[in-house]
Amino acid sequence: MKEKILEVNDLHFAYDNNKNALKGIDLTIYAGERIAVIGANGAGKSTFFLNINGVLTPDEGEILYRGTKITKKSLKELRKNIGIVFQDADNQIIASSVMAEVSFGPMNLKLPREEVRERTLMAMEYMNISDFKDRPPHYLSGGEKKRVAIADIIAMKSEIIIFDEPTAALDPLNAAMLEDVLSRLTDEGKTLLISTHDVDFTYRWADRVLVFCGGKIIADGTPLEIFQNKEVLKQANLLRPTMLDVYEALVQAKMLPADASYPKDLVEFEHCVKYSVKV
Amino acid sequence: MSHSHKHHGFHHKHDTGGSAIDFYAVNSKIRFLSPGFKAGVSMLALLLCLILDNPWVSVTLILSCALITTIGGGLSVHDYLSVLTIPAAFVFIGCATIVIDFSSKPAGDYHLFLHWGYLYLTRAGIKRAVFLMLRVFGAVSCTFLMTLSTPAHELFSLTAKLPIPTLLTEMMQMIYRYIFILLEVQRNMRISAESRLGFRDMRSSYTSFGLIAANLFIVALKKANRSYDAMEARCYDGTLAFWEEEKHTKPLYLCLAALFFIALLILWYATR
Repeated sequence: MKEKILEVNDLHFAYDNNKNALKGIDLTIYAGERIAVIGANGAGKSTFFLNINGVLTPDEGEILYRGTKITKKSLKELRKNIGIVFQDADNQIIASSVMAEVSFGPMNLKLPREEVRERTLMAMEYMNISDFKDRPPHYLSGGEKKRVAIADIIAMKSEIIIFDEPTAALDPLNAAMLEDVLSRLTDEGKTLLISTHDVDFTYRWADRVLVFCGGKIIADGTPLEIFQNKEVLKQANLLRPTMLDVYEALVQAKMLPADASYPKDLVEFEHCVKYSVKV
Repeated sequence: MSHSHKHHGFHHKHDTGGSAIDFYAVNSKIRFLSPGFKAGVSMLALLLCLILDNPWVSVTLILSCALITTIGGGLSVHDYLSVLTIPAAFVFIGCATIVIDFSSKPAGDYHLFLHWGYLYLTRAGIKRAVFLMLRVFGAVSCTFLMTLSTPAHELFSLTAKLPIPTLLTEMMQMIYRYIFILLEVQRNMRISAESRLGFRDMRSSYTSFGLIAANLFIVALKKANRSYDAMEARCYDGTLAFWEEEKHTKPLYLCLAALFFIALLILWYATR
């Protein structure tokens, strides 16, 4: 039985300009899930994140964190346990040195001084940014800023970590670093939500996919279920992962056995090819 | 930075997105000293320079600040001098207006006939101006001693300890951070306007400048909202709180500083 962390019931939210509104979101998030949130720009992904973090207040509906309904008073609880790594690190970084920046979250949690220090050092170590802890953020590269932004949230030790389009604007090396961090976080039992446009990444990383379209979740399932559902793909204007296309093409051409092995990345694919050649 | 600041001779092409002074402070080799100690020494030296009003003291301060910043802090002499040229222009112009007088008849120790009358100088006036200049440069050197070795965020943590309203010190921190973002966004807009010939002549330059300024305003508002969201997401509740590393000053440095000031006072007493 999986442990329920967050429950969202019939959540509605609209900005004044009616853009990126949410029209009835129902969702339950369980501990340790790796959730990819996909969908076009303006489908409401970021708005949804800000709602479940408590920055935006829903017009209708309720959010339950570990079975307790979130009210104005318990908003803090939500923010404490759900961290967001924002898309643009420059919008997130506010302090004038890396160490001060990473300490901002723990300081706001009103932790004892020694614990703030410990967590800040731990998070900087985690993201490998200890070497430039005294540097002002404007002397950091894009990849370094992203690492600082992630360390910001790691220092808060939140249960759920949301990444808003983390791979946008990262070079391949930094993107690989990010995936490494993601798998470490999963190993530590964190629940991760990542919004992305990268279907290949979604296919190989996620164990659950949410498809946003026009302020609603139009599909919720495993990557395979989602990417094999032509209707959903068409409605949300999504492409299929290359790996899935290649695999199905090979199966159709009878070059691979139809054993539904569905390789998710290159390593699995090579494995799959090697075995079938022997057959 | 290299383009828009080309005319300021003191700028290097560091491409750091920041100002030269900020960059030097971050890279100073005497950053390990506590900011309170450095600020204290600089301010005391500044006060002595102004109060004692003694050319020997001023010269000593100019030289010792230069030595500490270049040899101690590891800043190249060239970079140090180019930072000093910023106030130099004001100092020279200011002193020139003090020392040069105007008269219809030949007067003073030196004069120059200029069709309508005479520009003249007196020896006493020159001496006074030179002393004043030394005093100004002495004072400026003292402040550079601090600003070229202490990055802004360390100065902020100092101001937080002074009896200044928190609102002001927090504003300082935010402004410092966002100035660099504003500059970067402005630079990007300018580059993209330039790449579309937005600055080909006077007229288009004015138009582009106006458009960039207006756009910058909108972008700043939007970014401010985003940043506020990001701060709230990290449990911001109205007070900016950051971790501050406590740096302690070794007694050796305190003794050195004390000796320095005693030497200055002796120098002043001897040349009074």
